[in-house]
Amino acid sequence: MNNPALPIETDRLSLRPFLHGDLDAVAAYHMLPEVQHYLDWKARDLAECNAALNVLCHQVALRRPGDTLALAVVRRLDGQVIGHVSLRWHDATAGQAELRFVFNPTFRRQGYAVEAVRAAIQLGFREFGFHRVFARCDARNQASARMMKGLGMRLEAHFREHALFDGEWDEELHFAILNREWQRSTKVREIGIHRVA
Amino acid sequence: MTSKLPDYPILTERLRLRPLRRGDVDAVFAYRQREDVAQYLFDLPLTREACAETVQQRSARIAFEQEGDSIFVAAERKDDNILVGEVSLGWRSAEARQAEIGFIFNPEFGGQGYATEAAAAMLTLAFRSLDIHRVFGRCDARNLPSARLMERLGMRREAHFRHHAMFKGQWDEEFVYAILEHEWAD
Repeated sequence: MNNPALPIETDRLSLRPFLHGDLDAVAAYHMLPEVQHYLDWKARDLAECNAALNVLCHQVALRRPGDTLALAVVRRLDGQVIGHVSLRWHDATAGQAELRFVFNPTFRRQGYAVEAVRAAIQLGFREFGFHRVFARCDARNQASARMMKGLGMRLEAHFREHALFDGEWDEELHFAILNREWQRSTKVREIGIHRVA
Repeated sequence: MTSKLPDYPILTERLRLRPLRRGDVDAVFAYRQREDVAQYLFDLPLTREACAETVQQRSARIAFEQEGDSIFVAAERKDDNILVGEVSLGWRSAEARQAEIGFIFNPEFGGQGYATEAAAAMLTLAFRSLDIHRVFGRCDARNLPSARLMERLGMRREAHFRHHAMFKGQWDEEFVYAILEHEWAD
């Protein structure tokens, strides 16, 4: 699989591989209970956070199914790491990728998450040529669900009590979008300034 | 984990659910050789030899001993002992007490509610005897009889996946139905 040149730049953000020096910025959000609540990757202290960062630092390309590409989301204005997005090549034959994202709540409500996630989906379809990109989130995580819906992803599943998560019944949403649907929706956006008579 | 062996046969109004046995091969082959039955199964239509092997293997799979085990039972009519199909229950998670239901019925005896009656008995077995919390079933989105059957049982459509996998060389579209133990009213 051809991997794109990094970093990927959007209006306000730069998506680049993780560096060991990102520890403080990652720890600032990764260990927050409100973030941990929705992650299946536990990092409760700095040591666990460092271990997580070490893994992220090595997730730099998609070479074979099972690989993950993890990108730090950096605000170009000041170089602040505000979260991360990742794509995991899920399937050898059906062109499936799982999208994940985590953002520091401090930088909420400025559209950064949607800007970064849109770039990650774009990357999955345009650069990697995946057929379908999907993402999961906890059913209580309204912000993530709203954002994915807003990006044109379809709610494909709402599983109730299908697993235990931290000793409690889990409720999970799956969102997905196909390559052709994404291409269509981005085209529609591009010609959106023309009015239909 | 102690073995969970259902008390066979399981009786419903018109059916007897019991382990498969060698003598069932002809009755099972009658529907497993059919194109229309295999269309939405992972298997292709079976040869008689493959069918005999499948019946043989499934005849021994009648209890939950560990996660991953499946129970397969034949559904036969009580009044004439004719085998009309089979139902299964797969133990998918011990920790979260999850099981998957499956069913294959002979279209010759379709439209009489046998599959629904047998599947209902399997839900009761799962929730009342096997300590299962959630039973789910999957079917191809084009397989309306299966989807309706699960809806009749009160199962909720929890997923409609599109192109999430390849199935027999084509993009797959799949429904997932599920029901929780406290939602099941026998």
